[in-house]
Amino acid sequence: MLTGRRRIEDQFVYGIARPTGGHRAVNFRLNAPYVQMYGIVKRFPGVLACDHVDFDVRRGELHALLGENGAGKSTLMRILYGLYQPEEGRILRDGAEVTIHSPTDAIRQGIGMIHQHFMLVDTLTVTENVALGLKSSREPLLDLDRVEAGIRELSEAYGLQIDPRAPVWTLSVGERQRVEIMKALYRGAAMLILDEPTAVLTPQEVEELFVTLGYMKENGYSLVLISHKLQEILSISDRITVLRSGRLVGTVPTKDMTRQELARMMVGRDVMLERDRDDEIDVGEVRLRLEDVKAVDVTGQPALRGVSLSVQAGEILGVAGISGNGQRELAEVIAGLRPMTGGSVEMDGTPITDWSTARRTEAGLAYIPEERMHDGIVRDFAVSENLVLQEHTSDKFSHGIFLAFDYIARYSRQLVQDFYIKTPDIRTMTRNLSGGNIQRLILARELSRRPKVLVAAQPTRGIDIGAIEYIYQQLLEQRDTGMATLLISEDLDELLALCDRIAVIYEGQIMDVLERDKTSAEELGLLMAGVHPERQ
Amino acid sequence: MFDELFTISTLVGILHSCVRLATPYLFASLGETFGQRSGVLNLGVDGIMLMGAFFAFYVVFEGHNLWVGLLAAIAVGILMGLLKAFVSVTMQSLQGISGIGLYLFGLGLSSLLFKTLIGSVEGVSGFRQLAIPFLSDIPGIGHILFNHNALVYLAYLMVPVSWFVINRTTLGLKIRAVGHNPEAADTLGVSVNGVRYTTMMIGGALAAVAGASLSIGLQNVFQENMTNGLGFIAVALVYFGSWRTVGVLGGSLLFSLVNALQLWVQALAIPVPSEIAVMMPYIMTIVVLAFTARQIQKPAALARSYERGE
Amino acid sequence: MLRQIRISMLIFLLLLAACGGSDEDDGAANAEGAPFRVAIVMPSSTTDIAWSQSMYDSLTTVQSEMGGEDALKIAFSEGMFRVTDASAAIRDYAAEGYDLVIAHGAQYGNSVFEVASDFTETSFAWGTSSDTGADRGIENVFAYGAVANEGGYVNGVVAAMLSTNDVIGVIGPVAGDAKLYIDGFVRGVTDVKPDAQVNVSYTGSFSDTTLAAEAAHVHIQAGADVLTGSAQQVVGAIGVANENGVAWLGTQSDQISLGPNVVVTNQIYNWANVISDMIAKIETGELGGTAYKLTFENDGLRLEFNENIEIADEVKEAARAAIEDIKSGVVDPVLLEEDDE
Repeated sequence: MLTGRRRIEDQFVYGIARPTGGHRAVNFRLNAPYVQMYGIVKRFPGVLACDHVDFDVRRGELHALLGENGAGKSTLMRILYGLYQPEEGRILRDGAEVTIHSPTDAIRQGIGMIHQHFMLVDTLTVTENVALGLKSSREPLLDLDRVEAGIRELSEAYGLQIDPRAPVWTLSVGERQRVEIMKALYRGAAMLILDEPTAVLTPQEVEELFVTLGYMKENGYSLVLISHKLQEILSISDRITVLRSGRLVGTVPTKDMTRQELARMMVGRDVMLERDRDDEIDVGEVRLRLEDVKAVDVTGQPALRGVSLSVQAGEILGVAGISGNGQRELAEVIAGLRPMTGGSVEMDGTPITDWSTARRTEAGLAYIPEERMHDGIVRDFAVSENLVLQEHTSDKFSHGIFLAFDYIARYSRQLVQDFYIKTPDIRTMTRNLSGGNIQRLILARELSRRPKVLVAAQPTRGIDIGAIEYIYQQLLEQRDTGMATLLISEDLDELLALCDRIAVIYEGQIMDVLERDKTSAEELGLLMAGVHPERQ
Repeated sequence: MFDELFTISTLVGILHSCVRLATPYLFASLGETFGQRSGVLNLGVDGIMLMGAFFAFYVVFEGHNLWVGLLAAIAVGILMGLLKAFVSVTMQSLQGISGIGLYLFGLGLSSLLFKTLIGSVEGVSGFRQLAIPFLSDIPGIGHILFNHNALVYLAYLMVPVSWFVINRTTLGLKIRAVGHNPEAADTLGVSVNGVRYTTMMIGGALAAVAGASLSIGLQNVFQENMTNGLGFIAVALVYFGSWRTVGVLGGSLLFSLVNALQLWVQALAIPVPSEIAVMMPYIMTIVVLAFTARQIQKPAALARSYERGE
Repeated sequence: MLRQIRISMLIFLLLLAACGGSDEDDGAANAEGAPFRVAIVMPSSTTDIAWSQSMYDSLTTVQSEMGGEDALKIAFSEGMFRVTDASAAIRDYAAEGYDLVIAHGAQYGNSVFEVASDFTETSFAWGTSSDTGADRGIENVFAYGAVANEGGYVNGVVAAMLSTNDVIGVIGPVAGDAKLYIDGFVRGVTDVKPDAQVNVSYTGSFSDTTLAAEAAHVHIQAGADVLTGSAQQVVGAIGVANENGVAWLGTQSDQISLGPNVVVTNQIYNWANVISDMIAKIETGELGGTAYKLTFENDGLRLEFNENIEIADEVKEAARAAIEDIKSGVVDPVLLEEDDE
């Protein structure tokens, strides 16, 4: 490996659209601030997304930006990247004030951003994606050979392994992320903003990403990592800035912090995320059994290729896997929303394979769908209507064909109170609630029925840490009363914290089912990638 | 009786017809390819063709040079392309409907101008057959490929030119990116609307030349609605060719070949019912479409307008 | 929302411009000596130098005979190749109180009878047809048609005499539609030269000028030195004939302007007498019931030679003789099995 300093100088040879400040990285003074933001204010209708926030990034630093959803961390970085314009505040680069009106301006200032949703053209090759929008040395003709050579050098220097000639649609999620980083590097970025970069990666890919980020740091790059994963931030960042409700809570050196302290800064109170490991597991009879279940996805391709699982009363069984390996189909098959092409499902020993969704619900099955805005609620219904959606025909809520409005109202108010659903009123349109509150609503509806079996698909994705904590508590409480839970999640920390056993799904098959106490994130990660550790 | 079809001179005649008939389809569908690759569906090709056909004819009818007529058509085509771009890119109206609007506009305006400026069907002297020295003397091939008017050669020249522009230039890369993922292109500083305006102008110019190839090349006359829906077939040929220039060439040639074949079958009095002969191109189109239904290259953002989201 | 409205307005403007082609006069004069008002709905344009133009030209002839716009008002809708559009136009004209509504296409038959039974005070005419709806109790519809085989026969005689290769090309529109003209033409050729070869090809369309032009190329390459064809599609074919110096024989309208050096004869449809007769009948209160036929005998068909080119006297003589023979019934151009073109 060549030294970093030389590598960056090399970029001049092939860097086509050198930003004006491209030389910065050559003679950088470590720890000098690269970008400083002062008193940034940004309002959205009804919300103060950033309230006089200060933020700075130094050269050669990995600065983590932490906060719950809606804390303003993405907004702050989008302002820096020119996607939003702040109402107040100043931005300095290398001590000089700059205005950034567009991503193009940002790139010119050496600022690159890796979005959560990749901005790649999948019909084009890696090289074409990198070359897109750059001036060619042979304008108007393309000079893909030059760009390709540049990519190869950069990928060697920073451990970013990509085949420059591969069309993007053939690449894995991790590889696509590398292409995004490559795009920024090739454009001469001196600073990278990474928005939740590990959310979509396997543990191995996360490792590789961190290695790359390490090289970049050594070479004087400034890195901003937006995240809410405390463990990850503690392990790789240099400093941490915490935002809460659009306000700056503080900027602290990582080495002084613990997980508990960070969580407190983030939420504003003590948070309990760990399950008490000493609790007695009181496992009962099998409540849900899947035998050789097969199903196809929307395109008719096999999605489940013979899945067999059983969940006992008082147990949480986790299903780990990278998105798109059959998790969605698995949940839908159990809920009765997707026809099976083979196998059987039993609940409490009774075959329910041919039952309708309504009959399954009546028999005690609860389902928290992955697409909660889409499948979990009716967006244009009032909160109270969504709360009784499934049972509106039961005697409790109706007299003959008429709904019992008084009772529904009283019942809804009770649930709103019990499950801490933040809503102005039970008649508020559900679409106006935050993601976390919608999830609480669904949880309230499903759990208040005292179900025997719960299927929860990605129940905490995209919601704030306070709501997550509450959901964890609820799941554990219900488990203790004998509910059998199938928890489908892509978050290994979550599975390891909550589950008794963890099944790993890969390409529609269960790779293995492991005891929580006898496995590790590494082992699960390999299984998620389709590799049996002992067979290696 | 079928033997007559397989004599050398008949086969040469059929291929000669095929090469010539493909001319307007090639111009129009190559132009449409640019637009669709950038994500804009232009169903108004036929209207642009009519405007191009009329202006080329009118300029020549007024006694100007044929090339001046062609330039007039190109200018009008660019204007029509700009109009389409304004309506579907800037105003973001539904692309299908605005295309039909453009077609009706071109159809109506060309008829109106024809009635007011010329008034009756007249002929002009258009591009003449231009046998290319030496090459046209090659037996068979010479007549098939090198004995046409200048616009026919130009149409075939546009195939590699279009391919090169789309696949080997920075503009082409932008076109492909904008047609597939405009958000991604935008974040890299590519002006999505700028690229789409450009392709609409290119497409408009080519469609207008397609019209001119009829009015001052192949027929040397202007008649109201003389394209007879040819522009819509050109749009279909782009799908048929899977958005690739070579595919568009193949589609245009195949469609023209079957048309040429049916004309020859009838002209030689080969006993095939004329209804069947007339149906042949359409049957052929359906059959080929059924076998080439793969749409791998389809621009993902086709017919979707782009607005930067906040 | 606002954007949608703006876009709708823009599209509306486009559509408005597109409709600029169809003229309508509704300056109804109710005063004494009010003009006779006639409306015509036609599938192609007034300048198609074929079927539609023949009727439009005849109407303007009648108009100038009657004394201009004050005596005869003409409204027309052209390009009505979709029957549903035509049907709406026919109904509109009837509702606006036109005295005579002409539906100039065999495909408009059903529409005419439907509207005619709703507007029994209005007179309608349609062709090509001989069906006035009398057997259905409809009394306000005229029918008209041309015995096109007569002119076809004469053009066939001319073609046979002009051809040196003895190969003649015919470009038809939709099979069966120009059957009368083509059958007469073939008969005319073979009566003069029994061994001559007549190649007939159909494009499958009335308006596909591109394919008709290519058909002309094909016939020429197959050896034809005289061409004829029917419907508005032939403009492209005449252009090709002109470019290649191949003789063209026209039908329906005067086509000399397109091929001043190659168009030898034109069979011209002269509807003037038919129109005048209809107007006379309507003014006496007879709103329909007559089926008209254009023939050489009643001056509905005319054969005109191109004055600008030199035509051998014997050819002209033979043509005139053929016309006389048809008039006197010596020659029956084809076995008339069908009435309709």
